[in-house]
Amino acid sequence: MLEKLKEYAELIFDKIQDGVLVIDRDYKIISANKASEKWAKKSLLDILDHSCIEIFHDNDYVCPHCVAKVTFETGDVNVAAQRFQANGEEPSYAEISSYPIKHGDGEISECIVFIRDVTERMLCHEEILSLYNEVIQTKEYLEGVIENSADAIITTDLNGIVSSWNKGAENIYGFTKDEVIGKFLPFVVEGLIDPEWENNKRIREGEVIKRVEAIRKRKDGQIITVSLTLSPIKNTDGEVIGISGISRDITEIKRVEQELRRKNQELERLFFISSAMRGTLELDRLLRMILTAVTMGDGLGFNRAILFFYDDINNILEGVMGVGPISHSEAYQIWAKLSMEKKTLTDIMREIDAGQSLQDSHFDSIVKKLKVPLDKDTILTKTVKEKRPFNVVNSYSEPLSDSVFSEQIKADAYATVPLISRDKVVGVLWVDNYFNKKPIVDEDMRFLIAFSNHVSSAIENARLYEKVQVAEKELENIFKSITDMVYIISDDYVIKDVNPAVCKRIGRSREEIIGKKCYEVIHGTSVPDINCPHQITMQSKVSHVKEIENSFLGGSFIISSSPIFDFTGRFVGTVNVMRDVTELNELRERLVKIEKMAALGEVAARVAHEIRNPLVSLGGFARRLEKKLDGSLKDYAKIISDEVGRLESILNDILGFVKEIRLFKERIQTKELLEDIISTVESELEGRDIMIKREYLELPEIYVDANRLREAIVNIIRNAIQSIDGNGTVTIRTYIRNEMFLLEVEDTGKGICEKDLPHIFDPFYTTKKEGTGLGLTISNKIIEEHGGNIEVESVEGKGSIFRITIPINIFNREAKNENSGS
Amino acid sequence: MKILVVDDDLHIQRLYKEEFEDEGYEVVVASNGQEALELFERESPDIVTLDILLPDIDGIRVLRQMKEKNPKIPIIMSTAYDYRDDFAVWASEAYIVKSSDLKELKSMIKNLLEKK
Repeated sequence: MLEKLKEYAELIFDKIQDGVLVIDRDYKIISANKASEKWAKKSLLDILDHSCIEIFHDNDYVCPHCVAKVTFETGDVNVAAQRFQANGEEPSYAEISSYPIKHGDGEISECIVFIRDVTERMLCHEEILSLYNEVIQTKEYLEGVIENSADAIITTDLNGIVSSWNKGAENIYGFTKDEVIGKFLPFVVEGLIDPEWENNKRIREGEVIKRVEAIRKRKDGQIITVSLTLSPIKNTDGEVIGISGISRDITEIKRVEQELRRKNQELERLFFISSAMRGTLELDRLLRMILTAVTMGDGLGFNRAILFFYDDINNILEGVMGVGPISHSEAYQIWAKLSMEKKTLTDIMREIDAGQSLQDSHFDSIVKKLKVPLDKDTILTKTVKEKRPFNVVNSYSEPLSDSVFSEQIKADAYATVPLISRDKVVGVLWVDNYFNKKPIVDEDMRFLIAFSNHVSSAIENARLYEKVQVAEKELENIFKSITDMVYIISDDYVIKDVNPAVCKRIGRSREEIIGKKCYEVIHGTSVPDINCPHQITMQSKVSHVKEIENSFLGGSFIISSSPIFDFTGRFVGTVNVMRDVTELNELRERLVKIEKMAALGEVAARVAHEIRNPLVSLGGFARRLEKKLDGSLKDYAKIISDEVGRLESILNDILGFVKEIRLFKERIQTKELLEDIISTVESELEGRDIMIKREYLELPEIYVDANRLREAIVNIIRNAIQSIDGNGTVTIRTYIRNEMFLLEVEDTGKGICEKDLPHIFDPFYTTKKEGTGLGLTISNKIIEEHGGNIEVESVEGKGSIFRITIPINIFNREAKNENSGS
Repeated sequence: MKILVVDDDLHIQRLYKEEFEDEGYEVVVASNGQEALELFERESPDIVTLDILLPDIDGIRVLRQMKEKNPKIPIIMSTAYDYRDDFAVWASEAYIVKSSDLKELKSMIKNLLEKK
């Protein structure tokens, strides 16, 4: 039996899949089964009686020695798992267990070591482990997400008792987790509990409620709007056991959304009002539109409005217009009427634009009398000075409130905004809610300011338009009253308008002239005049000024032609200003002549200056030579001194001409003067057969510079004598004509040819071989200096008549009166 | 009798000097205003012929300064250009436009010295 058991045991020993080894205290392998070969990688023969250390310890495989060692030392069963990996093979796991074999004395003499392949089991275990880790991680992540979410994530049981409460919930609702866990939802607003139960019911039935808006109350009492998503929490049996809720604070989003919508409405209204206002330029109508827009319900909705204009010259604010009822009864009447008629702002704006609804109210008439000087600091004046709006909540307690509002307008609360255009205050808009007592809030103020910005530029435009109208009237007055001729021509030469000066000059009425071609009326031609400034302006499109001779109208004219453009910038014609400069030209010609003389004089004076000094020494020394020399040399010296003398006399003539004449007038008898002159010239006749005839009709006393006048007359008589070849007569006649002394010098000489006649008084113009060409010029100048003139009549071959007129001036007349009186 | 001739033209200076010396006058000459004023004081002339256009000081100013120093000395303005309309020259005793014929100037000098 024991043998049999031993046999069975050996059979099991050999057949068992686990490696089984018996090791003694020296770690010698006493016995090993067949399966041990796999672990030792050696045959049984190589294993038995060898040291366990030698066989296993140093290889990478399992080591029974190490496990058995613990059992030998402790006496306990020892189990160890060992991971091993052969080169290039999948990892394997072995479970090594050692069991002590004790002898009768209790001492451990051997160990039985089992080596079992647990690779499959271990791999399975590893997989489970990694799955477990994954689950843990996901859980942590989700927890993190929940915890850190900006949204509030809350779970409750079906009765609303909070089971979880994340950070987001703390932030949104203000309650901490500790405050709410285990308690009923803290944010439900009293009175709004019913919808919550309604939701609760739906969740219990398994429904998910997505993104509904709900009102919540924060711990600090503030009411907020949240977007809510509610889901049921089910147990493994699919039973609903709780509710999870995700809520997000959308209060700010709602606010912004409302703001945007309100802004949009405001802009729509403003756009409508401003486009209606832009359409009208008439100030009064515009102002009524503005104030109506301010007071209409679907406008700004104030009860009353006043518009003030700022007069910067007198530094006062003036009430221009007021819109609104004056009393409660009137207010209700108007509101009732409006609500009955159902007129919209659009309707009323149209009515105003069409010229209706312009009647003045009692309120308006009060407003129009308001004048507020800016020297004091009041709400109204500060609105102008500080360019900012004011909202006066109580006008009776506000120390700076203008007394007119509390006394005359009886406003207890009101607001003002400055109307600013191009950085300058043009006025103030005043509003109140006297009748419905609605407080003026920030939003009203914002809208009012936005509105005032639109109003300001519209008012500025309308005021400019008004100014333009005034300017137009002024222009029209100028157009009518100007003495210059003004006419407007289209680009096809048609006269569009003329002023009275044109009609007067042309001698036709305005109606007769308008519509005619300009060249026919102005130039008397049948085709356009190419020299006309209008013609040039038409081509160049810029102003052009030109002087033209116009024989049709008879005279010289300066015409200034300026282009006219229509509002699109298209050239449509010209405005022409025409001035008669005939007289001016004559004056100008005389001026040119005077200037020519002056220029000549200056040159002559300078030249004479440089010439005279050498002439003086030249002639002077020649004379000295003449005194000291004899014979022909003396003659030569005389020739030099004579010639110098001649040059000097020419020089004197020139200087006598150029010097500005200062007259030393005295009363003289014309007879004495003439006789003196005649005796002088007669002495120069030197036996020539020329008779000087006197035909004195009248011989007045005149007031003249005798020496100068003498020189002038001598020159003319000498000129007469010189014109006579051979014998002849010079006749001197005297008359009084038109209070002028008239002296005629007539000769029977060769006369002056027609070509020379206009030039005989020009300086240095001479037909004679001798002479300076200055004689008659000087005579003319002297006579002119006396306010007289010389006229010449001449027939070539027959002779000339010089007519000299000299005014018998006041001194002479007085003298004459004295004479006649005595 | 001593004549002070003031003229910047050296030939005219010499002409006047010789001609006046021939008449028996003592003659001193000056070429500019500064020199003229110095000689006027130093030489105490009995009469002066004074040109207006001088290189330094305007002859009119020389005239005024001489009249301020001694108003009794007659001065004849002797110029190349007719300045008769300039009121300032009226402060002088006589005025003459220079001429190569010195007869008029000489008689003017004689008359003025006799009057003195």
